[in-house]
Parts: sequence; C-alpha cells; structure tokens
Amino acid sequence: MAQKQSVYWNPLLETLPREKLQALQLKKFRRIMEWAYKNSPFYRALYKSAGIKPGDIKTMKDVAKVPTLDKGMLRDVQTRPPFPYGDILSVPLEKVTEFRQTSGTTGTPVYQADTWQDWEWWAECWSYILYAQGYRKTDRVFIPFGYNIFVAFWAGHYGAEKLGCEVVPGGVLDTEARILKMQELKCSAFMATPTYVLGMADTARRMGIDPAKDLFIKRITCAGEPGASIPTTKKRIEDAWGAKVYDHIGATEIGAWSYECLAQSGGLHVNEAFFLVEIQDIETGELIEEPGRNGKMIITALDREAKPCIRFDSKDVIRWADYTCDCGRTFRLIDRGVVGRADDITKVKGVLLAPTAIEEVVRSFSELSDEYEVVVTKKGDIDDILLKIEIRQGSEGKKEDILNRLKDQLRVKTNLGYKMEVHPFGSLPRYDVKAKRFKDLRKKEG
Amino acid sequence: MDLKIITAMGAKIEELQKMAEEIIKLGKGIQAVERNGVRLLASIKMLELNVCDVREVL
Repeated sequence: MAQKQSVYWNPLLETLPREKLQALQLKKFRRIMEWAYKNSPFYRALYKSAGIKPGDIKTMKDVAKVPTLDKGMLRDVQTRPPFPYGDILSVPLEKVTEFRQTSGTTGTPVYQADTWQDWEWWAECWSYILYAQGYRKTDRVFIPFGYNIFVAFWAGHYGAEKLGCEVVPGGVLDTEARILKMQELKCSAFMATPTYVLGMADTARRMGIDPAKDLFIKRITCAGEPGASIPTTKKRIEDAWGAKVYDHIGATEIGAWSYECLAQSGGLHVNEAFFLVEIQDIETGELIEEPGRNGKMIITALDREAKPCIRFDSKDVIRWADYTCDCGRTFRLIDRGVVGRADDITKVKGVLLAPTAIEEVVRSFSELSDEYEVVVTKKGDIDDILLKIEIRQGSEGKKEDILNRLKDQLRVKTNLGYKMEVHPFGSLPRYDVKAKRFKDLRKKEG
Repeated sequence: MDLKIITAMGAKIEELQKMAEEIIKLGKGIQAVERNGVRLLASIKMLELNVCDVREVL
C-alpha cells in the first residue's frame, strides 16, 4: 500500500524534539571542529592559539569559547598556499571539484572550494528549502540565472533536480527571452533575487505580457537580498506575478541555511540539522537567546568538508521570532529574515538607520516604481540624506501629495528627515542580481 | 517513525558505504569505477546525514 507523502523533506530531522536537535547539533559541532582541527592548518593554528581543542567542547555553552571567523580572515588565508584557497582547505586540492566565489560586495571576493560531497550537500540543503516551499516533481522550474562563478541559484538548480522537478536553465538568455521561454513552457516556478523578479515583471509588461495572467507561475523563491521578507516588497512581487513568494537566505561561504515554508508565519526557519546559528549582541558579544532582540549572526555549517565554516561572523543582523510556525517543524524561526548587516546599519544624524526600513516604506507606495536610491553625504558636520524615487506613469499629477506622505512615513519609520528627488520613470539604475541602492558617501568625502 | 525502522535504515546505509568503498578498492585504476564510486559515496553521505545521525540521538 502506498504511504501518504510527507509534507516534510525529512520528517526525522525537521520535527525532531528540541532537546534531541540540540544534542545532534552538539555532536555535529564537535565532529566538524575535529575535522577542521585535524585537516586544516589554518583552523589548527587558530584553535591552538586560543588554547582550545575539539575535546573541550562538552556542552553547548562551550561552543561560545571557540574563536570566531570573519571575512577578513577568509581573505587573508587566500594569500597562502595551496592556491587559490589557502591552508584553510581541509582536503587535498585534487579532491576539490567546484570553485565559486563571493560577489565581492563588501571587498575582495572570497574563494570557495567544494568537493563533490559538498556539492551534494548544497543540493540537499536546497531540497529542504524547495520541498518546504511546495516544490514537487510535477513542477517545471525556470532558473533565470547567469550560471557563473557565483553559487547563487546553481545549488537551487541541483536541489530542484533532486526533488524530481523538471529544471529549465535560463542561462545566457536575456530577460525578454527568458519571459517568452517561461510562457512557452508553462513554467510553474522560478527563483531569482527580488530585484530581478520585479524587473522581470516590468519587462514582461513592456512586452505586453501580464505575468499574473499570461504566465503560469505559482511560486517564486527569492534569495540574495532581504526583499522577500519585507512585507511591502513581498506584496509587490506577489501582486505582479499572481504567485506566492518565499524567501530563502544563504551565502557562498556558509551554505543555504534558512527558508520560509508554506505556512508563511512571517519568519524563516533555520535548518538546524545542518547549521548552528548563534545570535550575539553587536556591542557586547553576549549571546542572545530571547526573541525580538537584534544581534549579529554567528553561524556554523555542520557538515562542510573542503572548507569548513565554523563560527563565522557573517555580520548579518537577525533576531529570533517571538512566534511559532504552524507547519510543525521544530527548527527555530528568525523574524523577517536578515533585517540588516552589522556594517550596513549606520548612524545618520545620530540615528541608527537600517536601509531595509527605507525599502519597506518606499515599496508601500503603489504610485512609486520598484526602484529607488538613497545617498548619504556629509556637509561640514551635518549628515544629509537624499532619497531618489520614480513616480509611476499616471500618478505624476499627485506628486506633491505623494512626497508629503512619503516624508511623513519615513520620519515615523526611521526618525529621519529626507531630501527628495523625483526622477523620470525608468531612469534610475536597474539591477539583474544584487541591487546597490544605499550609497553612503561620507567616508569617501571624509 | 518507529526507532526500529530508523535503526534498520541506518544499518543498511552503513552496508552501502562499505560496499561502495570495496567497489572502489576492487576497481582501483579504473577511472570509471573510482570516480563513480566517489559520487556514490557522496550520495550515501547524504543518507548518513539524514538518517544515521538522527539514529544516534534518539
């Protein structure tokens, strides 16, 4: 007799009672630390200088004694042999089958080595994500991605294959060709950055195609930017495509660690069977266990072979959710995904500002286009913040009313006053992958 | 799920791993065996992460 299909990719792990899940994490943390200590000269030296050995990790509290890793260290190690990864590498170079690199948004790119086992692991992590978001073997999934040196949706492709989906690689096609191919093949799902998903909808409309009516997309997985967890941006995408939008967070040097599920509680589950997430107070480094309090994420990929990622200080700002999810998973939730980056949250006019707060307000105005830009400058000792926007065609007559309401809502949300600049529709930069809408020019000027 | 079934699956996965390693050893020098063996082991590893690891904390 056929058994009923589970709503989980792996119910054994996804519904494991919390205390057992923590026991599993501790066991796996010790295992990956032992692996790195034994096989990576970099990690061995790091731990020896801190006077700690894998055997010292007996409880979860001991984990906090293990030194953290940051992007600067990952860049430095690359200057040492073996080329191009450095002695953080934990396998012989000939076992490496995959090269990827970070986008370099915050500096020199970090090179990532993966073995074939690591690549299977990437696909496995994505299988958790996609299955939780309702992807099944009946889906035809379009991947509008450049298939290049960035890991981005490569692993999404392999994860979808693993689920049994039919995967259509959108590769080097331009946006118009991608839309036409999605229409021709009646694709039911796709994955891209929120910026590109909105850009595709704009392009489709210019082609006379209404994505919500003329295409067949039921679900979209967003990654690479926080947009899909910002309610106003998510709504814009859902309205444009007539589809459900799900967020996912991952990083080249970490892995695909978090996902929104079908229940859409407002938070994202951490895949705690494969990753250990700790949240630290940005100022004091104190471990934050209570929900609702922002801190920076320290994350460990518990099963990565070639280049282990142990207690990596990602600079992502997250908080535990103070609500639960109806889906039945025991994996904890982070509230609204990544709410900022420790190095992006900046003081303007003495007020702490997270760029995502501006996005939330701008995207709540249906009269504004999807694009905007924020430029922070300094004149003498005074910070100046300029918001560039585009008003949609047909709403230009309401310009003054729109600007007044926008200023009011931004003041309420961010406690700051803004100068406004209205640009012709379609004139602000459009981005295919990650957008750079927040420009802090104060350091350059100083 | 019944612990007995998880234990049984875990035992079979361990057998698979041993068998894959033996095949690689027997086929040493034959690239088609060695490289496919590596891929097989990577897939078996995913079964270990999904099943064997859980078995040990139940």
